[in-house]
Amino acid sequence: MTTYLEFIQQNEERDGVRFSWNLWPSSRLEATRMVVPLACLLTPLKERPDLPPVQYEPVFCSRPTCKAVLNPLCQVDYQAKLWACNFCFQRNQFPPAYAGISEVNQPAELMPQFSTIEYVVQRGPQSPLIFLYVVDTCLEEDDLQALKESLQMSLSLLPPEALVGLITFGRMVQVHELSCEGISKSYVFRGTKDLTAKQIQDMLGLSKPAMPMQQARPVQPQEHPFVSSRFLQPIHKIDMTLTDLLGELQRDPWPVTQGKRPLRSTGVALSIAVGLLEGTFPNTGARIMLFTGGPPTQGPGMVVGDELKVPIRSWHDIEKDNARFMKKATKHYEMLAQRTAANGHCIDIYACALDQTGLLEMKCCTNLTGGHMVMGDSFNTSLFKQTFQRIFSKDFNGDFRMAFGATLEVKTSRELKVAGAIGPCVSLNVKGPCVSENELGVGGTSQWKICGLDPTSTLGIYFEVINQHNAPIPQGSRGAIQFVTQYQHSSTQKRIRVTTIARNWADVQSQLQLIEAAFDQEAAAVLMARLGVFRAESEEGPDVLRWLDRQLIRLCQKFGQYNKEDPTSFRLSDAFSLYPQFMFHLRRSPFLQVFNNSPDESSYYRHHFARQDLTQSLIMIQPILYSYSFHGPPEPVLLDSSSILADRILLMDTFFQIVIYLGETIAQWQKAGYQDMPEYENFKHLLQAPLDDAQEILQARFPMPRYVHTEHGGSQARFLLSKVNPSQTHNNLYAWGQETGAPILTDDVSLQVFMDHLKKLAVSNAC
Amino acid sequence: VTRCRAGGAEVEMAELYVKPGNKERGWNDPPQFSYGLQTQTGGPKRTPLTKRIAAPQDGSPRSETSGPPPMGPPPPSSKALRLPPVGSCPASNVEPMGFPVTESEALIEDVLRPLEQALEDCHGHTRKQVCDDISRRLALLQEQWAGGKLSTPVKKRMALLVQELSSHRWDAADDIHRSLMVDHVTEVSQWMVGVKRLIAEKRSLSSEEETNEEKSEVAAENQTIPGFQEAL
Repeated sequence: MTTYLEFIQQNEERDGVRFSWNLWPSSRLEATRMVVPLACLLTPLKERPDLPPVQYEPVFCSRPTCKAVLNPLCQVDYQAKLWACNFCFQRNQFPPAYAGISEVNQPAELMPQFSTIEYVVQRGPQSPLIFLYVVDTCLEEDDLQALKESLQMSLSLLPPEALVGLITFGRMVQVHELSCEGISKSYVFRGTKDLTAKQIQDMLGLSKPAMPMQQARPVQPQEHPFVSSRFLQPIHKIDMTLTDLLGELQRDPWPVTQGKRPLRSTGVALSIAVGLLEGTFPNTGARIMLFTGGPPTQGPGMVVGDELKVPIRSWHDIEKDNARFMKKATKHYEMLAQRTAANGHCIDIYACALDQTGLLEMKCCTNLTGGHMVMGDSFNTSLFKQTFQRIFSKDFNGDFRMAFGATLEVKTSRELKVAGAIGPCVSLNVKGPCVSENELGVGGTSQWKICGLDPTSTLGIYFEVINQHNAPIPQGSRGAIQFVTQYQHSSTQKRIRVTTIARNWADVQSQLQLIEAAFDQEAAAVLMARLGVFRAESEEGPDVLRWLDRQLIRLCQKFGQYNKEDPTSFRLSDAFSLYPQFMFHLRRSPFLQVFNNSPDESSYYRHHFARQDLTQSLIMIQPILYSYSFHGPPEPVLLDSSSILADRILLMDTFFQIVIYLGETIAQWQKAGYQDMPEYENFKHLLQAPLDDAQEILQARFPMPRYVHTEHGGSQARFLLSKVNPSQTHNNLYAWGQETGAPILTDDVSLQVFMDHLKKLAVSNAC
Repeated sequence: VTRCRAGGAEVEMAELYVKPGNKERGWNDPPQFSYGLQTQTGGPKRTPLTKRIAAPQDGSPRSETSGPPPMGPPPPSSKALRLPPVGSCPASNVEPMGFPVTESEALIEDVLRPLEQALEDCHGHTRKQVCDDISRRLALLQEQWAGGKLSTPVKKRMALLVQELSSHRWDAADDIHRSLMVDHVTEVSQWMVGVKRLIAEKRSLSSEEETNEEKSEVAAENQTIPGFQEAL
């Protein structure tokens, strides 16, 4: 077993991939019977400190429909200087620069350890990174002040050559001209009227012929190395002006009468931001950063009216088809998101307010463009401030952890086709020989665009085995997949990351046990969950749960060991042992359950679930629970009410929250002050240990999670109680009075009941 | 070729502290880490807490009875022979809020005079308007310092910044400026941008002087022929 676990871990570290199956069923029919599709989680720009990029360009296969990149799986004839493409079998001449290659003098891309390699493309213009701040001024004084300071601070974190721009909005929208002359000028737009891109560009004077970089005209690098407009200027030139401008920002001056919401023209402000960048810097890495403190209340994209007595839509309203503005607003933001993606830009949303701000309607802006979505209570919180700082964090090389304008292309060997992708991407609608007709996620293409990404951005990629049952694949042969990611590095270089992987084919009839052993249940759980969450965005909740249940039952029928009609005989092998409990917790998670969450919260949780890597995604599905006691070092314990014991401290990580919970006795000891007595120093250490571990998580997590410190009987203990498996409830009374855990007051089904039903269904439906 | 992080020294100089979040404005607001802690690379890393254990296949939890609930006091330290239940590695030495100041306070002249001197050097190189702008902000710094509006850590770190600036360690000076902007933005945001600009101008001035001196020396750039790596 360890060998497969090691293999999986090595592959993740080296190539940033985790496959559901690491031995592939060799026919279409058999593959569909495996229930969990052949799929992988791909982290295209996974951080690789040990992999410096090579300073030359990749060699492509000459067949126009293939264009795969030369890789370690290609057959090479060193004498004749030929290589055979492992995807289409085309024979290719090496380019002249490769004249000196031999068995002992190989280029890096042919060496097996370079299954992932990164190339630096020297051609083409290098354009600076662009950051366009779109700032809501309908904020409380305290919030606005904090936001202004964060924005001023960000000017110190950004690269000096980066271009910045500023749009502010309230009832009106102001586009600020930035000049070094110290005279501030701005263009004011009404917030009620939507404008076309052309109109915006005309009004801002961007469409004059004097402005270069119109449309797709390639720019000569020497001509205008850093073309900027009056609205987007390099930081090192205008940092002082912009600092003052930000410092002088006032709250929206329009009076807000009692019982009204401020008029907030978010829809028009975003539209202008998108139009501005579209007209000036298409296809150049740019971030639109929207900071908002409430819902859009007027103009296109409004989510709620300005009457406070009419609350913003809830899930209940949506179910009753009673959300007046939702469809129209969603459409407005979807149009903007599509345009932004087409331009290669991304949109971040930083929404800080106690009530909802319209993330449900605006979510496509971040989800389709790879932008960040951050939800907080106030801009004057550590949650916002530090999350915002982390946007500008740097890697081991001192480069920003952000990349732009990526296209991901997937190539497959002939027995496979690609069915779709789920993640922060849009389809580029590129048909080709390796595109499946069946779609899983965003399909019908072999290329996707990811406008904004970082080293943890992760996509789920789904495949289909198409080899027919009666056309067996020769024993010992391998299937291959190549991922080619072209992107703009934060150093403004253009780079190409190529990952080529191969796995063995296996015959299901004779090698089922081997296939089972090569199952990656963690990857499978996340990949199935992504499919479920993707469906949940368009289907009714119960349908998605039914679908997930059906898949789980089928999987248990296929891979469980049991005697028909005998639930007690049911067993799953180690490779599958965690999978049912992942599904159990997924069913209860906020990604599929909307109960107790606002539509904005659901959108926020789903946003992060669809882009994090495997480890983080799994934490979201089934939170991690560690127990601290005098009995030894901290240990992982079951996410179960039986783990809540009086003499333990628990640390729970749900990704969005870090919870520290003191058991009843521990809490009493703390109240009695034992930690301050020298003879009980070990108790002091015990209290400190989970705090230190929590700090480690807090320091690395993006976005910053909420931090709950609570104890037995505390009101915030609900965060723990709502996540653990309710193995003891008020219904199974025998647990009362025994100190073996904490009964949970719930009618939710426990894992035990869930498993009983699962077994019954698995053994009875078997045919 | 992997570049080294620009000097580890400035990180050591940065403040390392954690302060509580703003519970009044955000429920369960997480603690706030200083710039120094956020940018700290390396150092002892704990084993990530990402392990989980499988529930028994019948789904019922192990009936874990930890004996009768301890009613008395916690076991005293002397009795606990096992390792103290600290996390997987010793706690990072995070100092509590505030910065222990044992040395004498930085003096306003020691900070301001070198800055003004640097600005003086930039005249002629830098546009007048920019110089005026910087000068205005230095005046603001002086005013706030003299008016007792600056905290000790800010004064102290400004003194360090000035030392780095005087020794032409631009990256280090810039890093201190960044740490001040992140950790003390409310205090410094109005004038710090002038100091930032001054560092940049002084740096470009000195690199200009260098190129003038060594005009002939043309850096032989790394040529970019498709480089082949020798097989291992």
